[in-house]
Amino acid sequence: MDTSSLNQIDFIAKARNASPSPPPRDGFLFTDLDDAQELPLQKLIRHWMNERHAPDILPIQAELLAGILDHIHKQSSTVSLLRTDPDASEDEHFRIMLAQTEIERVKFVVRSYVRTRLSKIEDYARWILADPLLQGRLSETELKHAKSYANLLATHFEESVLKALPGAQQSLDDPVPFMPPMITAPDKMRPVFVLARRDCPSVYLPDGTKMEMRKGQISLTQYRVIESLLFQDLVELV
Amino acid sequence: MAEHKQFCDLATQLVTESRRSTSSDTLFKYNDPLVRQIIREQRQLEAFIQSQVAGSPEFTGEAPALLIYQTAILRNKRCLLAYHNHRIERLKDMYWAVGGALPHLLSSPDIRSKLSPLEVDFLKTYNSEVMEFRSEFSDELDIMAGITEPPKDLNVLVKVIRDCGVIQTELGSIDFRKGQRFMVRRADIEHLIIQGYLEEVR
Repeated sequence: MDTSSLNQIDFIAKARNASPSPPPRDGFLFTDLDDAQELPLQKLIRHWMNERHAPDILPIQAELLAGILDHIHKQSSTVSLLRTDPDASEDEHFRIMLAQTEIERVKFVVRSYVRTRLSKIEDYARWILADPLLQGRLSETELKHAKSYANLLATHFEESVLKALPGAQQSLDDPVPFMPPMITAPDKMRPVFVLARRDCPSVYLPDGTKMEMRKGQISLTQYRVIESLLFQDLVELV
Repeated sequence: MAEHKQFCDLATQLVTESRRSTSSDTLFKYNDPLVRQIIREQRQLEAFIQSQVAGSPEFTGEAPALLIYQTAILRNKRCLLAYHNHRIERLKDMYWAVGGALPHLLSSPDIRSKLSPLEVDFLKTYNSEVMEFRSEFSDELDIMAGITEPPKDLNVLVKVIRDCGVIQTELGSIDFRKGQRFMVRRADIEHLIIQGYLEEVR
């Protein structure tokens, strides 16, 4: 083992001693089920996982996101200020590195959250644009992108296929009986794992039986069954 | 149309190609001749319908024939759109896989030769739309960067595979030349790894 890695271990030990870590929680998967204690980052991770697991597009967490982005900005400027400080001790430099790493990790979550939403918005652009209620779940930027993307895709179909077809066949959406619709919509029958964040009111399973989830319980069920619970923040997807 | 016996045979060929493309994870050349042939079949079917309707205004015994034509038309159309949609999804995947570096994608003659001119147009417009979306976020957060692997370390040891000129990094500007190795901040050069200029040394 060379000296640098020995030093590093030393620093880690120092860092540990400096700030006694809070009693370990259940890790990130089982975030604090108590809202009051939930940190913004934990909240973001919860919404990120919900977004990743849900087939449907969920309401944007604009306030939370703005707060986190603001925090990233502050942290980065503090870090760059400290880095140039000639008086910073070795110990501080190690902390700076930790802070930088953490910033990168938070950025990763934000990026993944934004990109997950972006890909859903593109997949369901026409479907979203047909329903004003759904549009309320998007940020302004996202809505703008949905509109321009739907337009772009329609133009591509128009130019490469539809324009060449006889007049009666040119529409992009034929409502034909006994055929699936041509506008892609999310598959709400998709199974998801849900974790109850508190005791939930009972919901009806597809076969008509009642299901009542207690706090901390995990179930595997169709997304549409627990959709309303998710929107009330009573459950999270895991 | 001597080479096929049944309506929609060609359309089946077309969607089979999409399926093969997915299962072999490759982009095939845009099948322009087949698309044109199917469009010709569509016109022919439409002409059949027109002549049927003109021949029997009361829709007496001819209705079943009309139904067959109509079903074939709808199926062909769906297959055509599915084929194009599948390709677009594939191209979008490729676009995101290189971190949105469209010039890099289009400069590859291999890929370029497989695209239809309309698909190139699509990618260009798509790129400008995504760039607009990206510009809504602050400079610190680049939403185009990779999301497949969470960052574990701040710095990364890289090997230069191809010369990529002078790049601005946290440590100042570095001239990356083939064969050299550097320890650099991951966020600074991640796009170069994705585009194949640098390789991570593990």
